[in-house]
Amino acid sequence: MYENTSQTPVRDLLQSDRVTPATRTALTERLAQPPVTEPQFFTQDEFVRLQRVCDRLIPQPDDERVDLAGPIDERLANGTTNGWRYNDLPNDGEAYRLFLTGIDQAAEANYDRPFDALTDEQQADILLLVQQGEAPGPVWQQLPADRFFEELLAEVVEVFYSHPMAQEKIGYTGMADQTSPPAPLLHKERGVEH
Amino acid sequence: MTNNDIADAVVIGTGAGGAPLLARLAMAGLKVVALEAGKFWKATEDFATDERAQDFLFWNDERLSAGNDPMAFGRNNSGTGVGGSTLHYTAYTPRLQPDDLQLRTDFGVGEDWPLDYHQDIEPYYDELEAFLGVSGPSPYRWGPARRTAYRYGPLPVNAAGRLMEQGCREVGIQTSPAANAALSAPQFQEGYGWRSACTNRGFCQAGCNNGAKASMDVTFIPLAIQYGAEVRAECFVTGFERDTSGHITGVVYEQNGETKQQLTRNVFLCAGAVETPRLLLINDLANRSGQVGRNLMAHTALQIWGEFDDETVPWRGIPGAIISEDTHRANGLANYPGDFVGGYLLQSIGVMPVTYASQMARGRALWGQDLHDAMSRYRHVAGINILGECLPYAHNYLELSDEKDSRGLPKPRVHFSMGENEEQLTSHANQIMRDIWTAAGARNIWAFPRNAHVIGTARMGTDPDLAVVDPDGRSFDVPNLYISDNSTFPSALSVNPALTIMALSLRTADKFLNGLSTTH
Ligand SMILES: Cc1cc2nc3c(=O)[nH]c(=O)nc-3n(C[C@H](O)[C@H](O)[C@H](O)COP(=O)(O)OP(=O)(O)OC[C@H]3O[C@@H](n4cnc5c(N)ncnc54)[C@H](O)[C@@H]3O)c2cc1C
Ligand code: SF4
Repeated sequence: MYENTSQTPVRDLLQSDRVTPATRTALTERLAQPPVTEPQFFTQDEFVRLQRVCDRLIPQPDDERVDLAGPIDERLANGTTNGWRYNDLPNDGEAYRLFLTGIDQAAEANYDRPFDALTDEQQADILLLVQQGEAPGPVWQQLPADRFFEELLAEVVEVFYSHPMAQEKIGYTGMADQTSPPAPLLHKERGVEH
Repeated sequence: MTNNDIADAVVIGTGAGGAPLLARLAMAGLKVVALEAGKFWKATEDFATDERAQDFLFWNDERLSAGNDPMAFGRNNSGTGVGGSTLHYTAYTPRLQPDDLQLRTDFGVGEDWPLDYHQDIEPYYDELEAFLGVSGPSPYRWGPARRTAYRYGPLPVNAAGRLMEQGCREVGIQTSPAANAALSAPQFQEGYGWRSACTNRGFCQAGCNNGAKASMDVTFIPLAIQYGAEVRAECFVTGFERDTSGHITGVVYEQNGETKQQLTRNVFLCAGAVETPRLLLINDLANRSGQVGRNLMAHTALQIWGEFDDETVPWRGIPGAIISEDTHRANGLANYPGDFVGGYLLQSIGVMPVTYASQMARGRALWGQDLHDAMSRYRHVAGINILGECLPYAHNYLELSDEKDSRGLPKPRVHFSMGENEEQLTSHANQIMRDIWTAAGARNIWAFPRNAHVIGTARMGTDPDLAVVDPDGRSFDVPNLYISDNSTFPSALSVNPALTIMALSLRTADKFLNGLSTTH
């Protein structure tokens, strides 16, 4: 585990002169972004369900949360993509909607309750079934479950680890890019600096 | 130049295939216009050291990926902007080896190139490496002896590189610092000014913000502009005007929602190995052979990751610091004899955090607390990968789908499934890399299967029935159309493509200029 005396090493760095203006702008804007409360693409119900899904995929403490569902809603509302999709999946927006319907169907089939009414563990179990391509429900005839799960997980993970608060957790400080003269190439284990 | 002036040449796309010839033609005094779909960035001001913010570098129009091993596009495959995919390439610039050009002769499958290494390619490598400012070791361990030393010594080796050296020593594989088109000392670039030395920021794949990396926007593009070339950014080419003899007379493009046309005497199509065949298929152009979009290849590019006791700080340093080409042909390898067509190179790799996390999501399918735990060891991660041969198969091709993009043009669908040879090559590499990483002390080793770069979709050859362009890059069907990008490669090669794309680009320009001087 990465040890740092500061609880907010990245946020500290952003206040310093060790970050170029372009990088500081990108990261401070992201930090200041308020969480989405009124979805543009999803219905309110769908959006809440997606938030629960994100909570299971990337559990977060209550006091410091990165908004995960919000940026997904924004992307789908803008109609932008990451440049490709599996040929056997429908377009991203439709796939997300089918998925959100499908986990409800699976929850009803296994627990006689909608997804939102399940415990955290039960929700995680449903997601695991989706990941394994074994979730019950008619939607999964239309949507290859394991494929979609991979896409969903990749998107959520990318949103999360792009956020300075998540980067603090993994000890990433590469945004300190103001380097003149060139930064030494730290190679700690041998105590060598190139 | 206005749209009604007749250009000597229009160059479509400004990446590795387009920019070098744009400069060459401008330097010969021709009136040239480049039409580039992406924006003209000023890297020193616009580029952030942040993967998400840099998303604009990638070609994010949706492509459909089919087959047993569907290819990932966007960030994993191709870029846009003045400079094309070189804006985000890792700047790894190994030379091909002469036997790469004769796969069919040596193995009875695949294709030979209609080119000679020493005559047609080597002189351009010499020129390019000096011009771009490639940093590398001289002498270099593999391939024919170099006629000149690399202009600069190799870049500092990061942790992944040191670990690869250590692991390879123990399993009996030779290594060397790699050649990278990033400066280990400042260099003056004509038309641009001083490019600074690499600051070890490790962000090559999200764009270099100080000119150290030899992307086209800090090398050939400013040179071209200095000699009078006009570069029109945010111009998306959609079609061509032709006369009754079949010659192209104008290039049709969209700029700010308006449709425009540039009159021209010649066209150089350099839109990359997906957009080039797509544009040809949409316009039913240059495809008498039926080979446009066929013969699609992708480098086998398996990655092996591991965690080490000591910190590696995986985002630091030029990502591809150490290379081995001992596996270029594996049948002679003492410890690891291999029996497959072609070969591969081995390379150490650094990695940026979001890329790593995303690959963990796809490759290890981790989520919940497992994901947090694995990512908490990010500072201890290092990787090693291959870049290997791929054969052309009938089952791998690009076609137009029925789905339309925002411009109303059909989205491309790319079919890709590894063949038996790719499977064998990859499993050979998997074993070697796991042994290397184990010997270097890695724990939690995992493999991320990948196929990288689209290759061969408008291939060159001598037979108009089997190829789209001749050995000079000229279309067999449309006499004033040339193609210069990764789509013309007859075989995939067991090295990264960019340096060779640039070499062929300069060669195509020279052949074209020779033709002009003999006919005028
Ligand atoms: C992450 C990553 C790392 C890489 N690292 C390396 C490496 O280390 N070494 C290496 O050798 N290779 C590397 N590559 C591959 C290398 O970048 C490409 O092979 C090379 O740039 C391809 O050159 P090209 O000319 O074929 O196409 P590109 O460089 O992609 O250029 C095509 C250009 O055409 C433009 N265009 C397309 N369609 C149109 C249109 N209709 N109208 C107008 N313009 C259009 C595009 O916007 C683009 O700018 C890497 C690739 C990726 C994705
Ligand atoms: S590692 Fe060097 S070449 Fe790559 S982006 Fe950083 S400064 Fe540029």
